Amino acid sequence: MSNKVAIIAANGGLFDAYKVFNIATAAAASEKEVQIFFTFEGLNLIHKQGMYALEMPAGKEHFAEGFKNAQVPTIPQLVEMAQDLGVKFIACQMTMDVMGLTKEDFVDGIDVGGAVTFLEFAKDAAPTLTF
Amino acid sequence: MIHSDVQLDAKGLACPMPIVKTKKAMQTVEEGQVLEVQATDKGSKADLAAWAKTVGHQYIGTIEEDGVLFHYIRKCNLEVSAAVEKTFENTATIEEALSSNATILDVRETAEYAFGHIPGAKSIPMGELENRMNELNKEETIYVICRTGTRSDLAAGQLTQAGFTNIYNVLPGMSGYEGELEKEVK
Repeated sequence: MSNKVAIIAANGGLFDAYKVFNIATAAAASEKEVQIFFTFEGLNLIHKQGMYALEMPAGKEHFAEGFKNAQVPTIPQLVEMAQDLGVKFIACQMTMDVMGLTKEDFVDGIDVGGAVTFLEFAKDAAPTLTF
Repeated sequence: MIHSDVQLDAKGLACPMPIVKTKKAMQTVEEGQVLEVQATDKGSKADLAAWAKTVGHQYIGTIEEDGVLFHYIRKCNLEVSAAVEKTFENTATIEEALSSNATILDVRETAEYAFGHIPGAKSIPMGELENRMNELNKEETIYVICRTGTRSDLAAGQLTQAGFTNIYNVLPGMSGYEGELEKEVK
């Protein structure tokens, strides 16, 4: 059985962020080796300012109260927890170049790499998930 | 209340927090000890059982009281326990123990016993055996059982060294028992 979980985060909304970080922290807590490849809008999820202001899908804003009532952790909290549990973040170099972003725009402790960096990790991961 | 060695309060927390907290709390639990996780997340029941299975700990069971779930997990190192050699020579099968009408001594933790034991079996956890031997009669026949035969192997050795004359280690243990279970929990 593979002990690796590979996740591609390609979307930048609040719901996308929860899907990514819930699965990632749960996997890491189950002693899996986890890597997340952040690309295109997915880069929002680890952007120093952006991660505090992720948007709900249009028309779903009323869920904000549900998140509060269920005491769901915030995204910055989940980001910190994921890193604390050893989840490795890789920001996509190509997207960063397109968007004019540098490593300093993101939370500390990330790696920057290309598609091959992630594929090398993902080649024997099960499952590989895309959000 | 079921006895546990370490308690974790994860009440009010949503997924994946109960799992994340459990993983961290488990680092403070010693091998063989029981962790109690208190949670209100309804999904935690299936999640903690699955987590324990993935990581290799023993999920003992869950009870619900006033909307709070109490989960019991025993810290195991499966590689270690499988590799331990059983040395006590007098062994018996479960069938032999059941048909003998002699005392069956269950040396698992009280939480494991509470979630299901052979009807009529006496509970003395392995760690308490030395101080509670006076509850047993040295001349009587005693079948010692645990989950897989490792703890009962040690217990049988301890009892024999203490002067008990008719001790059997039951193999493979409760993991191979398919008969009726008596429970202390609803």
